[in-house]
Amino acid sequence: MKKGIRYIFNLFLIVLLGIGLWYVFSDNKEKIEASVSVAEAMGGGDQEGYLRATGPREFIFPDDHGPHPGFKTEWWYYTGNLFTENGRQFGYQFTIFRNQLNPPEGDADSLAYGKDWNTNQLYLGHFAIADVQAEEHVFEERYSRGAAGLAGAQTEPYRIWVEDWEIKRIDSIGISDKNFALQIKAAMEDGASVDLNLIPQKPLILQGEQGYDRKGEGEGNASYYLSFTRMQTNGSISINGNQLEVTGSSWMDHEWSTSALDEGQEGWDWFSIQLSNGYDLMYYQLRNEDGSVSQFTTGALIDPQGEKILLGPGDVNIEVLDSWLSPHTGSEYPSEWRMNIPKAGLILDLATLFDDQEMAVSVQYYEGTLSVSGRMNGEQLSGNGFIEMTGYEEDE
Amino acid sequence: MKNKTSNNLLWLSSIRFLLRHPWHFVLSILGVALGVSVVVSIDLSNNSAKKAFALSTEAVTGKATHQIMGAAENLDENVYRKLRIEGKIRKSAPVVKGYGRISGMNKTFQILGVDPLAETPFRDFASQQSGIELDDFITGEKTGLVAQHVADQLQLSAGDTMTVSVGGRTQLIRLSGVIKAGNDRSRRALENVLLVDVSTAQQMFNMQGQLSRIDLILPDKGEQAMLSRINRLLPQGTSITRSDSRSETVAQMSRAFEFNLQALSMLALLVGMFLIYNTMTFSVVQRRQLIGRLRALGTTKNEILTIILKEALLIGFLGTVLGIIAGIFMAQGLVKLVTQSINDLYFVLSVQELSIGLFPVAKAALLGIGATIIAAFWPAREASQADVSTVLRRSSNESKISRRLLPLAGFGLIIGLLGGAVLLIPNGGIAAGYVSLLFMIVGFSLMIPLIIVWMAMVFRPLMGKLNGIIGKMSVRGVVTELSRTSVAIAALVVAVAATVGVGVMVDSFRGTVVSWLEAQLQADVYVQPPSAVSRKADAKLEPKLVELLKETEDVSRWHTVRSVDVQTNYGTDQLVAIEQGVEAQETYQLKASSENFWQQYMVKDIVMISEAYAYRNNVSLGDSLLITTDRGRQSFTIEAINFDYASDIGTITMNRDIYNQYFDDRAISGLALYAVDGINVDQLVERLRNKTQGKQEVFIRSNKGLREASIAIFDRTFTVTIVLRMLAIIVAFIGILSALMALQLERSRELAVLRANGMTPGQLWNYVISQTGIMGVMAGILSVPLGILMAYILVYVINLRSFGWTLQFMIDPQVLLQAVGLAIVAALLAGLYPSRKMAQANPADALRND
Repeated sequence: MKKGIRYIFNLFLIVLLGIGLWYVFSDNKEKIEASVSVAEAMGGGDQEGYLRATGPREFIFPDDHGPHPGFKTEWWYYTGNLFTENGRQFGYQFTIFRNQLNPPEGDADSLAYGKDWNTNQLYLGHFAIADVQAEEHVFEERYSRGAAGLAGAQTEPYRIWVEDWEIKRIDSIGISDKNFALQIKAAMEDGASVDLNLIPQKPLILQGEQGYDRKGEGEGNASYYLSFTRMQTNGSISINGNQLEVTGSSWMDHEWSTSALDEGQEGWDWFSIQLSNGYDLMYYQLRNEDGSVSQFTTGALIDPQGEKILLGPGDVNIEVLDSWLSPHTGSEYPSEWRMNIPKAGLILDLATLFDDQEMAVSVQYYEGTLSVSGRMNGEQLSGNGFIEMTGYEEDE
Repeated sequence: MKNKTSNNLLWLSSIRFLLRHPWHFVLSILGVALGVSVVVSIDLSNNSAKKAFALSTEAVTGKATHQIMGAAENLDENVYRKLRIEGKIRKSAPVVKGYGRISGMNKTFQILGVDPLAETPFRDFASQQSGIELDDFITGEKTGLVAQHVADQLQLSAGDTMTVSVGGRTQLIRLSGVIKAGNDRSRRALENVLLVDVSTAQQMFNMQGQLSRIDLILPDKGEQAMLSRINRLLPQGTSITRSDSRSETVAQMSRAFEFNLQALSMLALLVGMFLIYNTMTFSVVQRRQLIGRLRALGTTKNEILTIILKEALLIGFLGTVLGIIAGIFMAQGLVKLVTQSINDLYFVLSVQELSIGLFPVAKAALLGIGATIIAAFWPAREASQADVSTVLRRSSNESKISRRLLPLAGFGLIIGLLGGAVLLIPNGGIAAGYVSLLFMIVGFSLMIPLIIVWMAMVFRPLMGKLNGIIGKMSVRGVVTELSRTSVAIAALVVAVAATVGVGVMVDSFRGTVVSWLEAQLQADVYVQPPSAVSRKADAKLEPKLVELLKETEDVSRWHTVRSVDVQTNYGTDQLVAIEQGVEAQETYQLKASSENFWQQYMVKDIVMISEAYAYRNNVSLGDSLLITTDRGRQSFTIEAINFDYASDIGTITMNRDIYNQYFDDRAISGLALYAVDGINVDQLVERLRNKTQGKQEVFIRSNKGLREASIAIFDRTFTVTIVLRMLAIIVAFIGILSALMALQLERSRELAVLRANGMTPGQLWNYVISQTGIMGVMAGILSVPLGILMAYILVYVINLRSFGWTLQFMIDPQVLLQAVGLAIVAALLAGLYPSRKMAQANPADALRND
């Protein structure tokens, strides 16, 4: 019965259903998401207009501990191995990078940080703690514009910071503007933190040729490179809610450049080692895409008094004994080495203290604490060290 | 089986009947369609506006859970650094926002200044990860991003420069890139966003060192601990609010406005219901004999009831579908008007496209079909309930209604009184106002048949004198067929009264605003920067410009105004700081005040609130208001309430000296200048304008110019209402047309008898036109008192309950004349076709066929 009504009713239902379906498909609660597409970069190469490291120069302190705007890239790199009273070992890395966004134009750009919000300087912080006993590696990256007081680098008073991560001078009597004590303070979001005081124990090392370090063939493919190879370090580390008093020693690299790598250079392996006999060793090798080692590979052996012995590419022999495949990125990094430096009578067995010390941040690399053992002129020795490896990304 | 066939036959006969009366059928569908379309279009417009608002809020708020705001809109940027470095609050982002226009596009953009490096947790389209080139974006050059489709509309591509006007200042912004929306929702959400860097925004809005707010994401767990940690870092005057409560407050501003539009649209549907009732009654009455025969042949009451309801359902369904389709089309235009009004009155909103939600369409379908069934139920019941023998005689129905006249009117009176009683319910709200309105309309319509009989007594001799026997006959005809004519007239009355009610309401409103503006605008020249929301002074005058204008020759004195949004214990409110001293009393008309208010307000922590503010927040003289100032949360006593029709949100007014004590803000939103006596103000305005050439672009208007501009904005905000009224008029017109035309067509047999008895075609024409004309006059006259009653409720109940305004009730005779005229013209037009048809027809045929 009531066929008419049913007919109308059905028709009505179908229409409603249609509207409903259309509604469901056209107006679901999609998230607001978008990307940005930008204009093609204009003008010449990336490095045009920036200052370049073209030859040895005279350094003036404290200014040269500070920022060098005009150069595209600069970093203040701290690594160290720290021990609790019970001998529990921690590695740490704390780095602040300065990146200049545009070539300098006039005086305004000579500032390393802007007064207003606008700036040509971008600061990045990388911070990692390696808990050797627990084989746990925590790390975090932080960005900020070098403006509005959020991040910057300055010498008066000496301070390099990305928000609440900072390196600053502690004024102690009897120490010069070239050689002074520092405090490093940083905390990750999950609470892991360091609060360390660092005092240089050896004079400042000017790496390469009087601090001018060539990295490639091209004119200006070089950096200015300064190091404190051994800094007495005291302070505290917090990890997983535990605060621990620690002592140990740190290593500082301060380097600035506009273009470091040549075309065809893929990455580097960078060793910084403090030996139990008071010697410190810096050695890096630049790797070419074909797997060979670049001729611009250099290093330095610093004796206990702070005298530098320059090491060239032929002076150091490295054999990779083992490697580790990162489950995070799929990159395969060397993990064990034998290093032979006949010039210094030095043979070292090096291995990462545990595998997973990869930094999977906006740039992917490996920064790990090392176990060090070996002989120098027949004398047994041990030590602490760090290895930095870049350019091991899976080819895309 | 047998049952089925008989039902089919009945249904076929129904269809046949409807098809044989196509005018009637079409007009009744049109009645439903019009009612439904008005409801649909208003609903869709409101919904689209709401959705657009929600979307752009979502885009701009991002995932922020809380916001930190300053006391007078501005927040010291050091607060952000402190929060970030000392507070280590990682999920925080600075925001500088404002409004501006991009030349080449007729809409206001939200200009959002952000730090892309802090944006990742908040707005992914604004973060560095989304692909923003920092070397182009944060380095101080003025660059910005708009959505891809906006760039396409502007015919710009990355690298091109666009001209952006902010508060009267023109800026060149290079398009650094485009935002590619990931989906359609994002596309709509981003369509009025211009994304710039914090530094760029600070330059654009002259806000160096300041932020608009800081966005935060606080975890659900430990939110309280975080809040107290953050609060410790904040200087006095800053406050943290939940983001959703902020956007809720903004959305709430237009709620009363939207509700009223909705209610007015329902009025159109109500008129439509009367039309359906009229149609169904007519069709039942006309088939009385057929129904009688069917009943005599054994068709049951239920079958009759069902078949009539089925017919109604068909009309309702067709009308609804048509109405929804028409409504969607109408909404395309209406949404622009609604958006314009919201932009003028409340907040910046851009609705580029209609969003057709399921809910408004379903609601309209339900309303359309439901209203049809309800309206058709009584006629259907009437048809099915009648005794077989009486149904066969038509006169019985007429005698029945004449016996019922008094009880019907009594019942109507009771319903009307009930409607009045609804108004007495305390805190009844706007809804109660509309319920009361509905009751009064229904009550009044029930009294109409009795009134028609009375009116006929007056009209008969009158028409006799004017038009002889035919005049008398035509009046008689109205009464003798009261069962049909009264319904038709009632429908007309309601339809016309609705237009009268809304018309009188708008006139009262406008009249009040005009006379208020006259009193309010005392100075000779007013200077304002262009603002994003017309009724709010949300931009700043450049101090240099103010100095320049003040020192113009022939300016005798001047005072400034500052208008800011502040946080009070009632939410975000508009605070106006006025520089005038005691002489302000000439400007402000007070509804209530304490003694010596004007002497006190320059030295004491007291404020004046507007009537709308007092109503909205239920505060009165002597109450305290807590305002978050740069000196902390401060209590101010309300010592005056002023009339103010500029904002239905309401304003708080205080003296500038007091404001300066509590706020660090020294900006100026508007400047009023007084000319030296005897100076031609228009010439002064011209000179002032010349002085500002090449500087900040500002509106410099004479007293008269500003008044006209304000009234123009007022009129613009009422355009929607006026459109609705027009729609109601159209519904009414079609209603009158359909009801009366049907009535006359149905009488073709009677008219044929008249013709057969010697009436000439001319006389017949005269007869039909006179009768419809009389009905039109009756409806017109009756619609006046009902219309005024409706206007009264709209002005004194609904407006008051929506906005809290005291309006002067003003009846423009023109509105009334228009209504009566409308009824008569429609009625006469309705008579044209039937009378022509009848006059031309061969009486013998007419007698034979029907």
